[in-house]
Amino acid sequence: MKPLVIVDYGMGNIYSVQSALRYIGIESVYTNDSSIILEADHILLPGVGSFHVAMDNIRRLNLDKILSEAVMTKRIPIMGICLGMQLLGKSSTENGFTEGLGFFDGKCEKFESSVDLRVPHVGFNDVTIPANTRLYNDIEDHSDFYFVHSYRMVTEVTDGIAYCDYGGRFVASFEKDNVMGTQFHPEKSQRNGLTLLQNFANTK
Amino acid sequence: MKKKRLIFTLLHNNGGYMLSRNFRLQRVGDANWINKNYNFGKIAFSIDELVLLDVTRENRDQEKFIESYKKIIPNVFVPIAIGGGIRSYEDARNLFLNGADKVVINTLLYKKPEVINAISEEYGAQSIVASIDYVEEDGVFHCYVENGTEELPMHLEDYLHYVAQMPVGEIYLNSIKKDGTGFGYNMNTIPFVDSIDLPIIMAGGAGNESHFIEAIQASDNIDAVATANLFNFIGNALPNSRKALMEQTGKFAKFK
Repeated sequence: MKPLVIVDYGMGNIYSVQSALRYIGIESVYTNDSSIILEADHILLPGVGSFHVAMDNIRRLNLDKILSEAVMTKRIPIMGICLGMQLLGKSSTENGFTEGLGFFDGKCEKFESSVDLRVPHVGFNDVTIPANTRLYNDIEDHSDFYFVHSYRMVTEVTDGIAYCDYGGRFVASFEKDNVMGTQFHPEKSQRNGLTLLQNFANTK
Repeated sequence: MKKKRLIFTLLHNNGGYMLSRNFRLQRVGDANWINKNYNFGKIAFSIDELVLLDVTRENRDQEKFIESYKKIIPNVFVPIAIGGGIRSYEDARNLFLNGADKVVINTLLYKKPEVINAISEEYGAQSIVASIDYVEEDGVFHCYVENGTEELPMHLEDYLHYVAQMPVGEIYLNSIKKDGTGFGYNMNTIPFVDSIDLPIIMAGGAGNESHFIEAIQASDNIDAVATANLFNFIGNALPNSRKALMEQTGKFAKFK
């Protein structure tokens, strides 16, 4: 099996993602080399920070075109984590309107903070798992995962969506054909997350 | 529902991991001992967060601290807060680059609050854990910095409010007098805890699962309970504590 490719666009703290993959016996490479990305079996898009800066970096490195070819043409399975998941969507309102990679029909908006709702949403929260899921194989419904984010994704899509509730329902994860994403950090979510990473690596 | 947390704190001193009682340190073993004899890899699956604190008092060496904890954290799959001896923005940044999801800051809250602002601007307030050490004497709560050696001119209630207006995500509230005793948390702090608008991590004094449960049930503001006691929660004690917390409060995460 080829090593899993983690996309390097200068914004991921990938230390713990790589530790988690190593723990479950999956080798990974951290790169933005187009020839490696286009030949991958699985692509992981990590990310922490600002949507706007991330998209600037991705475009500057021509990764929008490379990922489009890998994901839309070659149908290589990709999973975004946290900001990486949001980047796979259509847009975000972070620092003004910014277009995303657009591989999934979701858009990101800020949580509306209030007296009862602390933003960002930080901590373990439970997830309602969709029917016909690959990512949650062997994971019980309402298991908990670790979130840390101020923007959340909403979508009209209903198939393959896992939901989390924090002042209203939002997308905890999506899986549509070869395009997947988790708002939470599987690498920080104990065996729930390790199993999910393994499930992603098992997708074809 | 967002969940409460059970936190384990490892105290590092010059390459070793320590038991602390009233801030007096006793060496237990190095990172290999923590992994092999203490079976930390197993214990880490029963916690919701790990705190790593460098409590080295003389010739503190951040690189040595990092080298040591990097033998432990590759098998830890929860958020990790790291601190102790952070003296500058660069110190904090170096920890973020080396596995920290959050940094724990104590002395700088009082002495260099501008550094807190700089860290928050880059990493967000949620990535800063404000640590407060206090001693209760006859109903007066004295606060300390510099590893409990320097008393502040503010008592706990005022200091909590001072810290709560800074860009920090939560407060690690540690009783020096209860530290390492196993007698339970100082529950006299609950009125102060209730008066501020930040999540509180209770620390100092937990000896068994009933102390965790007592604190979680005492105030909605208590978001986490911590222990640094390597021996009170040895073997299955931590997994069992977490199970008891789940069953009796219903507020803890469900893991496989």
